[in-house]
Amino acid sequence: MSPRRSDTGGRIDRLRTIRFTFDGASYTGHAGDTLASALLANGVSLFGRSFKYHRPRGVLTAGVEEPNALVTVLRGEVREPNIAATMIEIYDGLTAVSQNRFPSLSWDVGAVNQLGGKVLSAGFYYKTFMGPVFGPLKGTRFWMFCEHFIRRAAGLGRAGTAPDTARYERMNAFCDVLVVGSGPAGLIAAKAATDQGARVILAELEPHFGGSANWSGEVIDDMPAADWAARTAGQLEGHDNVRLLPRTTVWGYYDGNTLAALERVTDHKENPGKGEPRHRYWAIRAKTVVLATGSFERPLVFPGNDRPGVMLAHAAERYANEYGVLPGDRIALFTNNDSAYRAALALKKAGAAIVAIVDVRPELSNEMRKLAGEAEAEILAGHAVVATEGGKALSGLKVQRFDMASGALSGDARSIHADCLLMSGGWSPTIHLASQAGARAEWNEALQAFLPPKPTQKWIGAGAFNGHFKTLEAILDGRNAGLSAVGATGTPMAYPSIESLPGDPRPAPVFEIKAKGKSFVDFQHDVTAEDVRLAHREGFISVEHLKRYTTLGMATDQGKNSNIPGLAIMAEALGKPIPEVGTTRFRPPYSAVSIGSLAAERFDDIKPERLTPMHDWHVANGATMYAAGLWYRPMIYGLSGETIEQAYVREAKATRESAGIVDVSTLGKIAVQGPDAAEFLDRVYTNMFSTLAVGKARYGLMLREDGLAFDDGTTWRLGEQDFLMTTTTANAGKVMQHLEYFLDVIWPELKVHVTSVTDEWAGAAIGGPKARAILAACLTGTAVDNATLPFMGIVRGKIAGVPVMICRLSFSGEMAFEVYCGAGYGTHVWEALVEAGKPFGLVTYGLEALGTMRIEKGHVTGAEIDGRTTARDLHLDWMLSKKKPFIGSAMMDREGLIAPDRLELVGLIALDNRPLNGGAHVVEVLDEANPHDSIGHITACCYSPALGKHIALALIKGGKARHGSRAFVSDPLRNRFGPIEIVSNHFYDSDGSRMHG
Amino acid sequence: MVERQSPLEPVLQVGSHGNFEHGVDIILSETQPGSILQLAAWPGEEKKLISVIRTVTGLALPDGAGGGSTDGARSVFGFAPGKFTVVDEAEGLVSAFAGAVTPAIGTVTDLSHGRTAIRIAGPKAEWVLAKFFAIDFALPAFPVGAGRSTVHHDVFAQIQRTGADQFDVYVFRSFARSFWKALCHASEEVGYEVQ
Repeated sequence: MSPRRSDTGGRIDRLRTIRFTFDGASYTGHAGDTLASALLANGVSLFGRSFKYHRPRGVLTAGVEEPNALVTVLRGEVREPNIAATMIEIYDGLTAVSQNRFPSLSWDVGAVNQLGGKVLSAGFYYKTFMGPVFGPLKGTRFWMFCEHFIRRAAGLGRAGTAPDTARYERMNAFCDVLVVGSGPAGLIAAKAATDQGARVILAELEPHFGGSANWSGEVIDDMPAADWAARTAGQLEGHDNVRLLPRTTVWGYYDGNTLAALERVTDHKENPGKGEPRHRYWAIRAKTVVLATGSFERPLVFPGNDRPGVMLAHAAERYANEYGVLPGDRIALFTNNDSAYRAALALKKAGAAIVAIVDVRPELSNEMRKLAGEAEAEILAGHAVVATEGGKALSGLKVQRFDMASGALSGDARSIHADCLLMSGGWSPTIHLASQAGARAEWNEALQAFLPPKPTQKWIGAGAFNGHFKTLEAILDGRNAGLSAVGATGTPMAYPSIESLPGDPRPAPVFEIKAKGKSFVDFQHDVTAEDVRLAHREGFISVEHLKRYTTLGMATDQGKNSNIPGLAIMAEALGKPIPEVGTTRFRPPYSAVSIGSLAAERFDDIKPERLTPMHDWHVANGATMYAAGLWYRPMIYGLSGETIEQAYVREAKATRESAGIVDVSTLGKIAVQGPDAAEFLDRVYTNMFSTLAVGKARYGLMLREDGLAFDDGTTWRLGEQDFLMTTTTANAGKVMQHLEYFLDVIWPELKVHVTSVTDEWAGAAIGGPKARAILAACLTGTAVDNATLPFMGIVRGKIAGVPVMICRLSFSGEMAFEVYCGAGYGTHVWEALVEAGKPFGLVTYGLEALGTMRIEKGHVTGAEIDGRTTARDLHLDWMLSKKKPFIGSAMMDREGLIAPDRLELVGLIALDNRPLNGGAHVVEVLDEANPHDSIGHITACCYSPALGKHIALALIKGGKARHGSRAFVSDPLRNRFGPIEIVSNHFYDSDGSRMHG
Repeated sequence: MVERQSPLEPVLQVGSHGNFEHGVDIILSETQPGSILQLAAWPGEEKKLISVIRTVTGLALPDGAGGGSTDGARSVFGFAPGKFTVVDEAEGLVSAFAGAVTPAIGTVTDLSHGRTAIRIAGPKAEWVLAKFFAIDFALPAFPVGAGRSTVHHDVFAQIQRTGADQFDVYVFRSFARSFWKALCHASEEVGYEVQ
């Protein structure tokens, strides 16, 4: 038997023993235990070291609000830090370690920080990093030097570096009613809404539904409250219209009643099922939300309130009733309210000795005196705890007379021997989600707590969330909320019978006992009451500034324990009542959320792959694939031993000498259809399309509204009212949006439909002196001679039995044809073309050779149409129609866009016969040590097999006027400097004779 | 006639996969319809187009956005105002519509090669699809026959419910393999069979 496990009681499965380790030591627990309850059962009281002072810390709570017992969980190589031991369900093989300590938890050198309390007070970083001077290290430089050591000394757990192999998924959910929290209020709200036929989601952050019913010890409808909760949850489970989500924390409340939740699917499992995600991120869109999130018990602020063995009263009650664990043998309680008396009685029944109940109130009700008597506890009314004793575990406490009105202590301190001190400073409704959703919370003087704000979104509160702490109130609240959420009206119901201990929920307005020693307000961040006062003295009088200066209530804690005590101390320092000081707005997430769940799974690492119809052929035939946006395109079809340059030079050369074929399926293709299609294209393109004959294609240029170049491509007229527009691969989506915008918003009167047909067609461009012969060899149903298929003509025929559409146009500068067929036939037609080309020396070529040939021709792509260039900059002004307006025509002649010093497209030839680099600058005067006065930059470069030189396209000030002049390439990043000649961008076949044939 | 090549060919592995030891909750298949068309009406001409669709396919479209109908062999659903996807097991539907949809009514666009049709069926179909799309897949909100346009990351998708536990998802052909792999991956936890 574990030293602190009671013989009976608790809702754990005592027949199932679970083995786990903490800091390398082996322990056992039972199914249903948390790591905290199992360690407490084993007599462990030291769980961690504090953030700043490395003070020994035990476990303060039994739930999600735990600030002290934060541990790191190891799964193989993966480590996850800062997990509350109170939220870890143990499983066989669980391995947890403590954190923020060296070399061990019990002997931590960082504890020396406790000696530097004054130095490490609030604002330590702000003040210190102004920095002194230490020799050559001045100010911040000195502290940058110190940063490594400070980071090691402060903080919580250490994140791992091993890749997390767990799966994380996102789920989208819709419901009529989302009920957050499954205590008595939440359960009944869910049941009421479910019974009305509404679609309900019930989210509970704990493994079991029931909330406080699982440990309150109450009796509801003649059965233990825990059984009542299990029965009610079971009833819900039988309905199709309800989804129960245990282990699910609703952590964010966003606009439009969209809530974010984290489901911990497999954290409690030794071996997750195949394909099972570790966490699910639920995006829940709820018509109405019922917030039944309960309340948090507040700590009291007094010296030594962080010593291991000091715990919240309800937490100890929960450990006893839910887990059969006693946190101590001799237990004292310190309270400002009645709820602690119930805890005292529960612990007494579980077998502990209750040595004293220290109550700040001078007068106690007879009911409380009776409960104390049943617990055989000495009552010390009008007293306060002024100190705790012990090292890494509590050994005793000191109490003094206390005047609640003045806060004064009097008389001699009395020592009490105890190994556990339970405290209760009243209860704060858990209003985080409501706060996230909108308005400011309102202070309730009687309850000494902030109550939920008025709803600004569609939510309804229930139970302790509303400040209704009694179970009967909660159940009635829950029923009303559930019915209201679905717009139903309640019918009279028999009140449930509740057997519970008496108690007044109103606490005494006491938050702090001022005595000598560190009194902690925010345990997770080591913020003391004195830190709050120091912040006030230093001028931080706004509660928002106080929070940021002291770190009170920040990070994963989000003020769950510290919010009200911190405000109360600040209010006292300001001499104002708490409601005037106000409270901070809670922010999401309510509790820590795994980054993995937010990222969820994006397949293929980050983005989907977009594959052309011939993709598998390319891969099978030696292509090195290249990611071009989402697309994968062949870069080269390298032969054995070839470099990339050797491969593309071979491919380009062979294309110019005989023929080459390239996959152009990625080009954007948009069907432009309707009676006004031609008129629409006249407005969209700078040049005229309404004059284009059916069966012909034309090269077109689009501008943006601001007059800058946008995209280019050919558009084919397939019928009177039927055009096939092609765009650049990269801009297909943008062009589609552009067209849709103008049709939907600017010219809705035009009868034009645009549809993406990029994926409908497989495209192969075959070019070179032998291209026509190759086509003729495999094409049936049409001729391809100059008369039948002139430049920019379109014909239809069949290749290998498949209907094809062929347009004679060229990007490579050779006589070339784009062959389109249904995408499902793409590989079939491609293979037929390749086969037909074999006798002619046809090569397949990739993007590198394509780029090389377009540079040789001086054609522009996205590298030159870069959002900064105009048609004139690119020498495309011949395409700017003067006969009609078009998008961009009103703005393209602005002064700045026609200035003579604009960058213009030119060609460059390296005079030192060395490769050039894209992005390199061009200068008139070479100064390697101090590069300056760039006159432009390189946009694209290659080795030109046609010229036998390293060439480039560039945007250069003065442009054409510099043709024939010399300059220098200046690329200090890659240490490439050298002479160049500026020439026309048309390096090759400038009269187009090869293309026109 | 040459057979169309599916973009899923190398990744469509028939059989049971994932966590199927206790049975499969998902069945995945590619339906490979012969015809997938987009019909679009000019504003004010929607009812005429709906009438043409009924005449050609025999399918009556209910009023309202996203309404649709299916008879197993043919399916139709609205995916945007005045726009409809029409699917037929057989090829050649485009010619049947080409004359019927006059220029005064709207346009016909053949997407038979450009879209890939993936069917997801089984008791967990809604569950798996909810991992991808922020759409309410519950039967009352998404009745049989109805269609939706949506997107998963960069993949545009049209979804038609063709049975209580069955959805046909139409994605761009070029994205189909990635989407299929993602669908298989997401189905692992409930066990799935590829047919």
